[in-house]
Amino acid sequence: MTHLTLSNICKQFAGTTAVEDFNLEVEKGEFVSFLGPSGCGKTTTLRMIAGFEVPTTGKVTIDDTDITYQAPNQRNVGMVFQAYALFPNMTVAQNIGYGLRIRKESKTAIKERVTEMLALIHLEKKGNSYPHQLSGGQQQRVALARALAIRPQVLLLDEPLSALDAKIRVSLRAEIRAIQKKLGITAIYVTHDQEEALSISDRIVVMYEGRIEQVGTPFEIYNFPQTAFVASFVGTLNTAPAEVVDPAKHLLKIDGVQLESAEMLEDKHAGDKVTIAIRPERFNFIAQERKANILDCQIENITFLGSVVRIQLLIGSNRFYMDTFNNPFLELPKIGDKAQITCSREAVLVLKA
Amino acid sequence: MRRGNRIWSWIVMIIGILYFFLPLLATFIFSLKAKLGVLSFQAYANVFHDPAFVYNFSYSVLWAISTIVVGILLFVPTAYLIRLRVPKLRSAVEFITLLPFVIPAIVFVFGLVRTFSHPPLLIVNSPALLIAGYTVLSMPYMYRSIDTGLRSIDVRTLTEAAQSLGAGWGSILFDIILPNIRVAILSGAFLSFAIVIGEYILAQYLAKPAFAPYMAYQIQQKAYEPAAMAIISFALTWAAMGIIALVGRGNGQAQVGGGH
Repeated sequence: MTHLTLSNICKQFAGTTAVEDFNLEVEKGEFVSFLGPSGCGKTTTLRMIAGFEVPTTGKVTIDDTDITYQAPNQRNVGMVFQAYALFPNMTVAQNIGYGLRIRKESKTAIKERVTEMLALIHLEKKGNSYPHQLSGGQQQRVALARALAIRPQVLLLDEPLSALDAKIRVSLRAEIRAIQKKLGITAIYVTHDQEEALSISDRIVVMYEGRIEQVGTPFEIYNFPQTAFVASFVGTLNTAPAEVVDPAKHLLKIDGVQLESAEMLEDKHAGDKVTIAIRPERFNFIAQERKANILDCQIENITFLGSVVRIQLLIGSNRFYMDTFNNPFLELPKIGDKAQITCSREAVLVLKA
Repeated sequence: MRRGNRIWSWIVMIIGILYFFLPLLATFIFSLKAKLGVLSFQAYANVFHDPAFVYNFSYSVLWAISTIVVGILLFVPTAYLIRLRVPKLRSAVEFITLLPFVIPAIVFVFGLVRTFSHPPLLIVNSPALLIAGYTVLSMPYMYRSIDTGLRSIDVRTLTEAAQSLGAGWGSILFDIILPNIRVAILSGAFLSFAIVIGEYILAQYLAKPAFAPYMAYQIQQKAYEPAAMAIISFALTWAAMGIIALVGRGNGQAQVGGGH
């Protein structure tokens, strides 16, 4: 059942288009991330759901109720900010209970809900502390509890982990996801960190220059990017200009080397110029006889990245990367060596223009 | 070289302290000489026993408190909304708040008298005009203190956080903004208090009872009591400053964001 709908949303600021023709349907209990670089319109879209910005055109509905022009304090939407935004003059418990106090709930009900929320974020003993007495991670957990305490219809999170260090970011994102699943709440999460979006989301909306580039599960976004931008923004990707050789047989050519793809090329003609993309981890050194997708290359550089070894290769005039698991018993080629690599036909993606 | 610099710093500082404290010390010693041949607090006793002092000083305190209340009600929402909604106006408003420093008080008071002494704005005899005038005179201190307080908190994000929890403008101002700029407001309030207590021209020309005109009158009549009143006035101002420092130290305003 569709819970949150954004229909034909456009937002302009003084003649500049920040968001353009944004359409999205979010199911109840779904965790959707808006992913994109700075200035792509993801936060503006989130702020339109919260009511802090009014769309220039388009409609925002929650459970079929049009909330496009409703004031932020009239919507039942919880929000977690990058800067925590805890009220410095209030204790943790008062912060969590503030929304309920505004709703004029009884003192007993507020106390019960605050206790429940403190248990949810594992800060039972911090109720009487002030925000400045907590670490950044603890403050953000309190901010999450405060947003959840009002039982919002939708939870909005605006880059909530950006101000935290790497280790806390990883543990807190897992905690946010666990809490969201436990409560079954619909969540919209804004981030520019692809790893964060891939690890936490049910679906990802990749945005660029105010437009949706692709909507899909993390698996789809990573493995089957539909545009050159998604391909370049999510993960590392080798891209190269190619020429269609035989659309019926899915044959392409880069620098004179023939490649077979699994992609449908019916709309292409022989000689058409396209861009192909291959993930670094989809390459292998040739271990056995193969008939297709054999690429002669020269090793340019080898970089150890912990569990992965990244090998920089030159294939014709194209510089590619290949990732292979770090196996101390596997003999790697040396810089300057000539080698042959291959990839499956499914690994050769043809990007949309 | 560095040693020489340090010596010069000390010399300049000592000259500054002497320049400020010597006249004050002389006034204080003079105020103790009301009784012939002995140092006593007789002049102070005379001041406190004079019903006119109590009368005029009480009125000054009343004007000061009214000015502070009006100032808070006027400047907190103004500074808040300018910061939140029209930050481009900040520099223009800052310029306006400095006008009381530029326009002489005597020009200001005659402007008030001329404007408000005939219908439909015949309020020249009302205490409201005096309080309004004092509010303008204290504006540089009050507005700028509040603005500085607002600068120390993330006004926009706190406002949006409160809105997302269902708070309206009244709740945001009273529950979130005011408590978090309390020290700044107190600072502006005490400075306003000191300004109003020592202000002469407005009260004199709008013919209202106040401490400064009373003191000016006493200077013409008596010798030691005005000196005692000057010291009392200084003591009050310093007490106000001390309270600001004390409250400010005990209430380090927590930052929004930061931490790790």
